Amino acid sequence: MSQRSLSRLQLHNLHLAQARRTVLEHIEGDFKPGAITALIGANGAGKSTLIQAIMGELRPISGEVVCTVAKERRAWLPQQLALDLTFPMSVEELVMTGSWPSHGALTGYCAGHYRKGREIMARLGISHLAHRPLGELSGGQRQRALIGRTLMQEAELLLLDEPFANVDSETVDILIRILRQMADDGATIIVVLHDMDHLRRLADEVLMLNGGHGRWVAPSALTHQHAPAQVVPFTMGGRHAGSA
Amino acid sequence: MLDLLNAWFVSPFDYGFMRRAVVGGLALSLAAPPLGVFLVLRGMSLIGDAMAHAILPGVALGFLLAGFSLPIMSIGGVLFGLMVALLAGAVSKMGGQREDAAMASFFIISLAAGVMLISLGGSSVDLTHVLFGSILAINSTALLLIAGISTLIVLTLAVVFRALVVECLDPLFLRGQSRRSGWVHSVFLGLLVLNLTAGFQTLGTLMAVGLMMLPATSARFWSKRLEGLIGIAIVLAMVASTGGLLLSFHLDIPSGPSIILLAGFGYLFSALFGRYHSLAAKLRRKTTPLEVEQGA
Repeated sequence: MSQRSLSRLQLHNLHLAQARRTVLEHIEGDFKPGAITALIGANGAGKSTLIQAIMGELRPISGEVVCTVAKERRAWLPQQLALDLTFPMSVEELVMTGSWPSHGALTGYCAGHYRKGREIMARLGISHLAHRPLGELSGGQRQRALIGRTLMQEAELLLLDEPFANVDSETVDILIRILRQMADDGATIIVVLHDMDHLRRLADEVLMLNGGHGRWVAPSALTHQHAPAQVVPFTMGGRHAGSA
Repeated sequence: MLDLLNAWFVSPFDYGFMRRAVVGGLALSLAAPPLGVFLVLRGMSLIGDAMAHAILPGVALGFLLAGFSLPIMSIGGVLFGLMVALLAGAVSKMGGQREDAAMASFFIISLAAGVMLISLGGSSVDLTHVLFGSILAINSTALLLIAGISTLIVLTLAVVFRALVVECLDPLFLRGQSRRSGWVHSVFLGLLVLNLTAGFQTLGTLMAVGLMMLPATSARFWSKRLEGLIGIAIVLAMVASTGGLLLSFHLDIPSGPSIILLAGFGYLFSALFGRYHSLAAKLRRKTTPLEVEQGA
């Protein structure tokens, strides 16, 4: 943990475009180990675009993403609906796929992996669901299983896209606790959030995207009763759109 | 009664070609259904179909060059199938058109080219054989070829199984996990082409995909577990290929369609009476809402 102060992920004057249309310009950022950053902005503000760029899925027009985390220690949890729920796989099997980095594609799991998988499921309170197919889970249970996979992966950089959408409050509590633990263990976490309450409970820093630009703000500035006037409308708009 | 059973189920196997055809069918039934299960799970059911047609020009070229020589035709089929798969992949990467759209375009071109080539060099009987299969075509060389390819497919599947599962469920995760995750997809497409080439001899190029897809789609009505899906699909395929061959023998119809039609009956039956998602299951669900609630 001597490298704690060194940032794992830096964005330098990032210019991103989708289908030749500029989405974001002049994005600067510095994400430190142990910090949970909330990414906020209205729909279409470029949150997913930025995540794609960080994950190396989208090449910047100019500027650069400097990430010192090995690719297999980066985890990206897209919005839930991206996952095929009819897939015949159990919770335990899903969690176990996270052990990929430590043993590669072709060799089998060993007893140690299974033990770790069971510990993780216990931490998340989904042990009793271990053999349940994914399709029979509730939104919250599924989200816990997916977080279980990133724990298995020992992710050092974790990007979550609206992890609390369609999730029950018990799961939100557990996930917030687990994410905080992961951050305390040194992970760098970036979360797309819409809900001010979640933001207040989770975020150390906030990167706000609006009109193609990014602005770093303190969480307290957003959650404060007398938030700046221009902040309120679009975060509210995003929240409504997200819950629709 | 015993005579009838004997006449229907035993005496056909006095003929060497029937014995070879059945062994070939059983070997295919081990290899094709697992591939089909993965295709269904990836939502690529129709791509199997497209690939099946893509091998036709290669088969036809082999036929033109060497006559009805199965090894040559198979090599041609594999080469052409792989080429079309690569081309479709390249087009979709280059232009951003979805891979299935590119596939669909190439396969119809291939089908036309294949039929044209065979008509140039052969008779309509040859065309029927290539398109719909002929059990008479299975000699010992062909049988070795089918068994060899099937073995290769099953072994390769065993090795890449988990990578395939992860790729099906969450390609994004796999791409995050390794720089060269594309190989899983390529290996899978390669196995697909190999299997279709092995299948065209009994089933014909148009029907080869049936033994892959129908047992897999039927199995979806009977199991919710991957192992279950694959096991059930293999059993269904074995029953269909053996039964279909017998039908083909007795009724003097091409082997491909009779095997596939039998598998098709299996599918319809499963859709009506299967354990999950079938018509019967839907009716059962309505009468026991409490259980559904508990399961959710």
